Order: sequence, then C-alpha cells, then structure tokens
Amino acid sequence: MATDIQISIVGSAGDGTIAAGEILRSALAGMGYKVISFDVYPPEIRGFGKCIARMRITTEQAYSLKNKSDVLISLDDSHAIPHAGEVRECGAVIYERGSIVQLPEGGHISAHIGPGQLPYPVPIRELSEKSTGANRSRNIVVLGFLAGLLSLPAEAFRKAIGRKFKSKAAAAEASEAAFKAGLDLAAQTFKLDDVMFGPPVSTVVAGATVEMINGNAAVVRGALDAGIDTFFGYPITPATSIMERLASEMPKRGARLLQTEDEISAISATIGAGFAGARAATSTSGPGLALMAEMLGLGVIAEVPSVVFVSQRGGPSTGMPTKTEQSDLHMAVYGGHGDAPRIVIAPTNVDGCYRCGGKAFEMAEAYQTPVIVLLDLYLSNRYETVVFPSRPPFEADCNRKPGKLQAGEQYKRFALTGDLISPRAIPGEKGGMHVITGLEHNELGRPNDQAQMHEAMSRKRHEKLKAALRHPDFTHYKRFGDEGQVDVGLISWGSTFGECLEAMYKARGEGIRCAAMKVVMLSPFPTHGVAAFMNDCKQVLVPELNYQGQFANLLQAHVAKPVTRLNRVPGEPMKVEDILEEIRRLAGRGKTAQKAA
Amino acid sequence: MAETAKSARHHVVVGSGVAGFQAAETLRERDPDSRITILTLSRLLFYKRYDLPKVFRGSRDWREFLVHPAEFYRDRRIGMRRASHVANVDSRRKVITLDHKEEIRFDTLLVASGGRAYLPEELAEFRPLMHNFGSYEDAITMAKALPERGHAIMLGGDMIGLDLARTLIDTQHRVTLVAGPHTFWPHEVGESERPALVATLEKMGIEVIEGADTGGIASIEQGARGFSARRVLFKDGTEIAGDVVMPFFGLMPSVEFMLGSGVDIERGLLVSPGLRTTDESIYAAGDVCQIWSDAERRYRFYYGWKNVRAMGDLAARNITGSSDPWVPAQDEKLHISGDGRIQSPFWEYE
Ligand SMILES: Cc1cc2nc3c(=O)[nH]c(=O)nc-3n(C[C@H](O)[C@H](O)[C@H](O)COP(=O)(O)OP(=O)(O)OC[C@H]3O[C@@H](n4cnc5c(N)ncnc54)[C@H](O)[C@@H]3O)c2cc1C
Repeated sequence: MATDIQISIVGSAGDGTIAAGEILRSALAGMGYKVISFDVYPPEIRGFGKCIARMRITTEQAYSLKNKSDVLISLDDSHAIPHAGEVRECGAVIYERGSIVQLPEGGHISAHIGPGQLPYPVPIRELSEKSTGANRSRNIVVLGFLAGLLSLPAEAFRKAIGRKFKSKAAAAEASEAAFKAGLDLAAQTFKLDDVMFGPPVSTVVAGATVEMINGNAAVVRGALDAGIDTFFGYPITPATSIMERLASEMPKRGARLLQTEDEISAISATIGAGFAGARAATSTSGPGLALMAEMLGLGVIAEVPSVVFVSQRGGPSTGMPTKTEQSDLHMAVYGGHGDAPRIVIAPTNVDGCYRCGGKAFEMAEAYQTPVIVLLDLYLSNRYETVVFPSRPPFEADCNRKPGKLQAGEQYKRFALTGDLISPRAIPGEKGGMHVITGLEHNELGRPNDQAQMHEAMSRKRHEKLKAALRHPDFTHYKRFGDEGQVDVGLISWGSTFGECLEAMYKARGEGIRCAAMKVVMLSPFPTHGVAAFMNDCKQVLVPELNYQGQFANLLQAHVAKPVTRLNRVPGEPMKVEDILEEIRRLAGRGKTAQKAA
Repeated sequence: MAETAKSARHHVVVGSGVAGFQAAETLRERDPDSRITILTLSRLLFYKRYDLPKVFRGSRDWREFLVHPAEFYRDRRIGMRRASHVANVDSRRKVITLDHKEEIRFDTLLVASGGRAYLPEELAEFRPLMHNFGSYEDAITMAKALPERGHAIMLGGDMIGLDLARTLIDTQHRVTLVAGPHTFWPHEVGESERPALVATLEKMGIEVIEGADTGGIASIEQGARGFSARRVLFKDGTEIAGDVVMPFFGLMPSVEFMLGSGVDIERGLLVSPGLRTTDESIYAAGDVCQIWSDAERRYRFYYGWKNVRAMGDLAARNITGSSDPWVPAQDEKLHISGDGRIQSPFWEYE
C-alpha cells in the first residue's frame, strides 16, 4: 500500500508546534518514509502568532504539499479554526477537548469540523499536567496520541524525542511521560478515520545516505561539499540558518566565517576573498541583496568569483519577513547599475538546493563572475528526505589557470580569448601580477574607457556566460510529463515548480495532455531548450509567487510565444488546485465545461 | 456553522439519533431560513442502529451504516456538532453550555438525547468485564472480542439483545440468555404469554436460563488463561463460561444535563401530547421523553425506531407552528410470526 499522508499541526508561538513537527518528521524519516515539510511561523515572540508545522509523508516521490491534510492537530483553536476546512473527508481532527475559559459559540474547533471529517477530542492539557506536572508537554501528548492512532512504532518517536532533547535531560524525561500518556489514550480510542500508513519503501542505492534536511541546510551541505573556504554574512530571515549552520561546520574543516556589520560589508569581503582565490560566499534575503547590488557590479566588472545565496521573502522593504514569495527575481537577474550580467540559478527542491549550493562555486570559478543562488522561504524551510551520493558531485577547482608566459609577455587578466573567459591568476601567483579596479579596463586590467574597449569588455562579460549554459553535470532545465505535442505546458522556477509538477500529474490523470518544465538556470537564460518546449505546447502556463510575473517577463524577453500567467502572493506556497484549475481552463476543461459534460 | 440571516431562528437539537435527525430534517423543510444545529456525543453522523448486528455479517465499515452521507448535511445546512457534550441548559437565558465551556444560544430546543443501556446496581461492579452494544464503536469492539463460533452470554435480554441474538445464531455463534423481567423490554409481557415467547427463543437456537437474572448472579469473572474469556457464576453454585457477557436491561433516559433547566423530569423529560416540555421553547422526542397519555392518565415512554422517528417529525412540526398531538400505535403486542420469529409492531428490523 502506497503512503501519501499530510499532517498539519497548528498552534500559537510557544505551544511547541514547530518542535512537534520536527520530532514527527524526524521519526517518520527515520522509519524510511519520504517527507516534505514546511513550517510557517510568526515573527512575534512567545504567546503570539500562528505556527504551522505541515508535512507530507509518502512512499512515492512527492513534489509539494497537498491542498488537503489527512490529519489536523490543533494546539490552539483560535489559530487552527481557519484550517479546519483543509482536512479531507474521512480525515481526522485532533484537538483539546476542554477549555479553561468560557467560549462564545464557534470559539471551539469542534464547531468547525465538517460533517465528513472525524473528530478526536483529547484532554491534551490534562494529560500533560498529569504526566509531567505542567502543561508544557501538550505538543508531545498529541504526538503520542497520533502515533497510537495511526499505529506508528513508538520507538521511532522515542528516538526522535531523544535526538531533539539530547542535551536537556529534564525535557527528555517529561516528553517521554507525555508521549506515553498520549499513546495510552490512543489505545483506548476508537479509530474512525481512514488514514493508514503502508510500509515504508527504501529506494536508496548502496553507499548513499538519506537525510531529512531543509533547503538552507542542503545549500550549506552543498557549499561544504564543494569546499567553501570563507563566508561573510549578516543575518536576515529566512537566510539566517545558512550562516548559523556554516558557523558551526566551517571551523571544523579549517574554513572561516565572519559575521560582518552589514550586507555591504559581507559582499565586499566575499568579493575580496574571491579575488584572493578562496571559494567565498555570503547569504541574504531581498533587502540584503538590494544593499549588495553596488558591490555585485564590482564582482562583474572585476570578474571575481563569488557566491550569493538569496532566500526570498515577501517584500518590498521589511514586507512579510516570515512569508514566502518569489519576487526578487528581477533584482537577482537585473538588479544593479550598468550592464552587469551574472549567473542566477534557482533550485526547485531541497535536493536541488544541495546541487546548486555546490555547483554555484564551480560556476563562479569557471565563468569568473558572481553567482546568485535564488531560494525562497518555502524552499529554505522546507524539509525533504534527500539521498546524498557517496562522493560529493562537485569539482574542487574550476579555475582556468594561466599558461606559462613567453619571455617578455605580460599577463593579461582580462584577455579576450575565443570563449571570452580569461586565464585567472590568483594574487601572489608567479608571473600573474595584474591590476583590478572597478573601472572599465583593458585586457591588462588598466583603466580604459575607450568606446571600443568598453564594447569589447561589455561583450566579454555577457558572452562568456553562455558557456554556463553547458556547465557539466548540471540540470539547467528539465521537461517532465507527456512527450511531444501537449495541450498545456507549464514552465516554472524555484519552489513553485513542485506544485506545478503535482498539478501536471493530476491533469494527466484527468486525461489532459500536459507537460511541465523547470528552469533552474535563469541567467543566462536557456532560450533554446525552453523555446523548443514551448513549441510543443498549445498553451503555456507560468505559475509563480509574485504579482508582476517576474519569471514570465524574463521568459518573454527571450521567447516571443505568448504565455498565460498565474500569479499569486498569498505569502504561502501556491495551491496545486489553483494551477490545476488553470490547466483545465486552458485545456478547455474548466469547471463550466466539466459540468456541461 | 450554517450562514443564515441574523434574524433567522436558531433551532438546536440535542441528539443525533433517529428522533433528533428526523426533527432536523423536518425543521429544515418547514423553516428553510432557520439555523439548525445538532449537538451530539456521537463522533459519527446519524446511522442505523438497528443494523448494528450486521457487523457479524461482515459489515465493519461505519460508512455502511450511515443513513446519509456528509453532503446531505451540507446541502441542507444542518450543522452537525459531533463529539459535543451538552453539560447544561439554561432555559431562562436560552443558552446551552457544552462541557468544554462553549455557550450556544437557541431560540427553540429539542431534546432528543435518547437513553443509555441500563445496568442494575448489583451488576455495576462487573461493568469492565461486560460488552455493551449501544453504538457502532461498541458493536465493533464486541465483534472483535467474540471469536468465530464463539459463545455470547446475554444478561436480561431486551429487544435490542434479542435482535442481536438472532443474528449471532444465524452467524454460527452460541448464545445463552439469562432471562428475566427485561427479556422482552420495552414490551410488557404477561405471565401467560411468556412461555410461548421463551419457547420461540429456544427454537431459534438460543439457550435460555430462566429464573436467574440479576438477583441470581453472584459474580462475573475473567476466565482462566486458555479457557473462555468470561465466567458467570450463579448464586446456586452453577456457572457458565463464554467469550463475552452483555447486559441488556433496557434503557435509561439521558437527562442529566437537563436537571437544572427548570423543566419537569420524572425518569424522562415530561412532555405534553404535543411533545412540549414545561418550558415553551423546549421540546423533547424519542427515548428521552415521557409523553402524557390521556387514555392511560400517566406519562409513559414509547420506544422503537418507528415511534421515535414519528416523534422527531411531530416535535419539529409543532416547533414550526403546528399543534398536533402524539398518536400512539394501537398495537403494542409482541407477535410470533409464521416463520417462528418474535415481531414487534413498532420495532424496525435489520
Ligand atoms: C443498540 C440499540 C439497538 C436498537 N435496535 C433497535 C431496532 O433494531 N429496532 C428498533 O426499532 N429500535 C431499536 N432500538 C431502539 C430505538 O433505536 C430507540 O428507541 C431509538 O434509537 C431512540 O432514538 P433517540 O433518537 O430517541 O435516541 P438515541 O438514538 O439514543 O440518540 C440519542 C442521541 O443523543 C445524544 N446525546 C445524549 N446525551 C447527550 C448530551 N449530554 N449531549 C449531547 N448529545 C447527547 C447521543 O449522542 C445520541 O446522538 C435500539 C436501541 C439501541 C440502543
């Protein structure tokens, strides 16, 4: 029996919602299931704001969260009530049976459980208090209840709880008691929902390892596996955990990390380190990237390798720091002054974060330019089970080294070679002495603002990047679904591609000829491959999480065939159902058409 | 919650058995703009209780017992508040309080909270060793405890139990009935009619032990390992062993939450022939109420699916403007049908 179950835990900050989610997904991944999970948390402090831990557990590969959950656990009704309708028919709603305060009609979640859903009132607070003497372990009580209800092995949970509280003996002990209390209650509870776990299926090849990891952690792992030497950063949600993780990992490998005073300084130092020959990176979010724009120009003109990890959030300005959005694409691709082309790659899933996280260093070195890896909050915080290869799939050195100089020959740092990529000497390298500034220059690097030179160098900076479109062992774009001519083709990027894939497979299930293409390399744009795909599509749909259709704009700048845009800015991942509805409409199978049929 | 105009009346029904459900359906037909909320302890939508013996014929999924699917409630805007325990009714403020402290205002209230299995006091201490058969959950739990060709011991044996006994015999189980005054509940059976009815039970294959009943039972015990799961020991020193022991002593009306409401209660809620309680906005129907009988000059219960459904319908009609009286069925006698079955005129059969 294939497993495809989505569980949502909704509570208030301070309820332990996210911690419960962490334990649950760690237990389930430990059992061998594939897990995709995405937590939503508020910027506020304890006692305020909604937290959601949502995860999809599967045996087959899944690409996104589902619209409907199979189980909803409420740790705080005021926040969970709006989500009651997201539980599917015959799914379970687990909630606090009692209340300590008088409630008006509708103030309890039981008022919002639909006739097709199955209620599980649980004395959560009482069990926590009885088993631990405090109500803090309510989140663990519900995990015990859930484990019992769904007949999941308690041992896997106990291990996950142990991992979570490994340095907090008292919390571990209380959690064990609370878990047991929930488990015991489930044993006396009649199961009515039809949520069933089948056995996990292992598809892991020998030598590989499987890990539950989120997008930011995967980027870090990619960077480490690619041999990052230095990192300079300034914290900002949702990119902070990249720096935090690197801060604990890099020193173990003799690498160095510095928290700078701001983003301008972070990118400056990164470019400096890149110039010195280090594999260097920084990370930020939209507002930080805006501050980095000026220095990125330096990286471009000076042709210095550097990597910038950007995790997008709702903007502009401070905007919605804890909500996801894909609205920094224009800035990543075009942002800055002058003609400043750069490489922009955007992974579409957590595995892709690992690969892009490492490949970015190869590309930065190989094409001597800043590389922006564009994530978004959804991808940064989304957990997936990822299979890591036994050996890192990254090249340790992609630098084009200068050959031996002839007698009397002077090293040209910006030599206009056939492919316009110049041999790059690292400062201190014998015979590689050269000048670098932010000024336009000649091949030697000396300031030169002659029209011809600016034309030649501008061309060099743009055209050399074309080689990146053939960068080895990298998926620049990829087509999925039906081969040949299709009625509807989806093109998408970043985290939204998961929802597109899911919608595309559903549409195919409804008999619509459909395909989807993910575009990972956004700059330079893989026009050829994308245009070929669009030629196969009667209709092209571009779903993305921004208002302007930033990717659609980029696409239309390269391919003239008109596309249909699907833009949403809910601060949450796009709904598969919305995409599917649009596919149906484009295929002439909209709701009205269906009803008439 | 159903969305209706603010001015619309809120009809609240306590209970999602046949009385409550039927009332809600009739209320919706007759008062289309109203808000209707059913409050019930049950975690399931209204289902056919009389079909529960089917769990022994292979039906185990609760969906097979539902009278209507979820859409029915959505389409008719009938709010179903399941797993909701009414703790208190304040008739003056017209407010119901659920045990999780939520307050619900009503314009009219229909109490259709039915009854729960009655267990004589002398057997109360053995409750953990007995299986009830009052709900879907009970039925499944009991079915899991009774092995194939297993032996069920029924104490008392009311009409609910006799229905189950028939199915158990049909499905190759052994049934012993410790008979007594409740054996044909809710029917009152005279001394002269009883032997023929008991003989009919025996002909069906039920082993009947007469004269022991509650007073004759000394204790109920867990069976020894490797033997039957339960033993019933009688005061005369005899004993029988079986896999499950089930009490069937009729029902006790569920009225606790109405105790402070101010309406008149005897054993059940006392209602007029129009099913109204002593409070003009509160009605009652089904197993929970005792209806005034002009003919008998007393308040009395009327049981059975057909009766109770008619009560639900009548109460709803009267809540929405009619003033019809309850007309009881004339025939309340048990019959023995041509094929040797005991039949009640107001009982619905699987
Ligand atoms: C197991 C069983 C089998 C039966 N089999 C048959 C049969 O085969 N044929 C036949 O004709 N009759 C049968 N009957 C009898 C007949 O079904 C009853 O007369 C009838 O079901 C009573 O219906 P009701 O709506 O009055 O109450 P019930 O069906 O008992 O429903 C009572 C409702 O009230 C709710 N409730 C109670 N207290 C509260 C509270 N405090 N807060 C919220 N909700 C509350 C309960 O959850 C339930 O939904 C059977 C009865 C039982 C118990």
